[in-house]
Amino acid sequence: MKVDQNLCLRCGGCVGVCPFDAIEATDGSVGPNQRCTDCGICGKVCPVGAIRVGKKL
Amino acid sequence: MERSYDVVVVGAGPAGSVAAQAAASGGASVLMLERRREIGVPVQCGEALSEDVLKEMKLKPDPSWAVNPTNSVKIVSPSGIAVRISERRVTGKVGYILNRKVFDKYLAIRAAEAGADIRVGTYVYGLVVRDGRVCGVRARGVDGDFEVEAKVVIAADGVGSRVARWAGMNTAIKLDDFESGVQFQMVGVDFESPSMLEFYLSSRIAPGGYAWVFPKGEHMANVGLGVLGSRAERRAIDYLRDFVARMPGLARGKVVEINAGGIPVGGPLKQTVKGNVVLVGDAARQVNALTGGGIDSAMRAGQIAGEVVADAIREGDVSEKRLREYERRWREKMGKSHEKYLKAKNVLLGLSDQELDQLAETLSRVDFERISLTDMLRALIKSHPKLLWKLRGLV
Repeated sequence: MKVDQNLCLRCGGCVGVCPFDAIEATDGSVGPNQRCTDCGICGKVCPVGAIRVGKKL
Repeated sequence: MERSYDVVVVGAGPAGSVAAQAAASGGASVLMLERRREIGVPVQCGEALSEDVLKEMKLKPDPSWAVNPTNSVKIVSPSGIAVRISERRVTGKVGYILNRKVFDKYLAIRAAEAGADIRVGTYVYGLVVRDGRVCGVRARGVDGDFEVEAKVVIAADGVGSRVARWAGMNTAIKLDDFESGVQFQMVGVDFESPSMLEFYLSSRIAPGGYAWVFPKGEHMANVGLGVLGSRAERRAIDYLRDFVARMPGLARGKVVEINAGGIPVGGPLKQTVKGNVVLVGDAARQVNALTGGGIDSAMRAGQIAGEVVADAIREGDVSEKRLREYERRWREKMGKSHEKYLKAKNVLLGLSDQELDQLAETLSRVDFERISLTDMLRALIKSHPKLLWKLRGLV
């Protein structure tokens, strides 16, 4: 998956719902680590739609 | 900063700062780490707090962070029936809308004054584990990566708590237990009363959640909503834009800030102590499942955690058994209330918009100066016997 850093409001919701602990949310950016399977759950909960799910991103 | 502390607190929100202050006051050496470069920013919260927790913790409301006193509540049903409750008369409680950018810093300052060290811009990316025991944390700060040793780790790292996962105490939040929250801080808006919190229930406005208007000042308000992860069909911000556009008092206002937050509404975790890792606040999912409010629980839990951890360290016993006093004490203090809120939330989620309208219709005729919450529920059940089955868990 890919996070639009301009849209992302750092709420941390995606981190909380990710079944694979695959999201790292530092102060500077939010993004997937190697555990991401593109399951899409994070995309469902993002309040502002900053997440695009899909391989080959 | 030292290389080793008695306690490392991960996260400098209300839970972390209160825990750090309490632990430091109890004689422990404390390091509090915050991944953001600025404590309290961005705001991820509706900013409404009941006065009782401030009184309990002897915190005097300061106008710099308690920016607007509130004393009443309006709940609006899907078809627009309003139920008004004056808190002062019914429950004796008043509250404040906070400026969390200042409030969070105020709590961190208290921790620092009690002796806690603080490092902002520092992201904890792992735990140091030796012989199956957590000995500290790995962090990335402004000057690079480092390790800090700790006898106890207090995880106050919010709804997406990774420390809780690494310690084996939580798993991913289910969509059924998660609210996507988004909020506009708006100016140039009109509302019924500056001291009244407004709540809007409707599956069209906010499926599985509610919209709020929390007045913050002269023609200024926090306007937001939360939608349940398993019921939302659009982005939370799309629901919010629609809500604002349809509210005459809000439609012509201007947005000066956009906030977002994830809220756990499945009730607190079953286990909040494992080994020498203690969870507090949203990391422990100590959030009122009905209202989504978590500041008060975070502060109460943080206080208990800090006290227990400091005592345990002084006694030279940081075993899980010793630290479980925290678990016992917070459940004694708040456990039953949280169970009730969770039940109430599940009842509400099981009501259709039509049933909510029926209940609101009955309640709008009740005189809340003379009736208790229990009497209110009994009156509801009496006038809506078909709903008796759904409301049964609440009385």
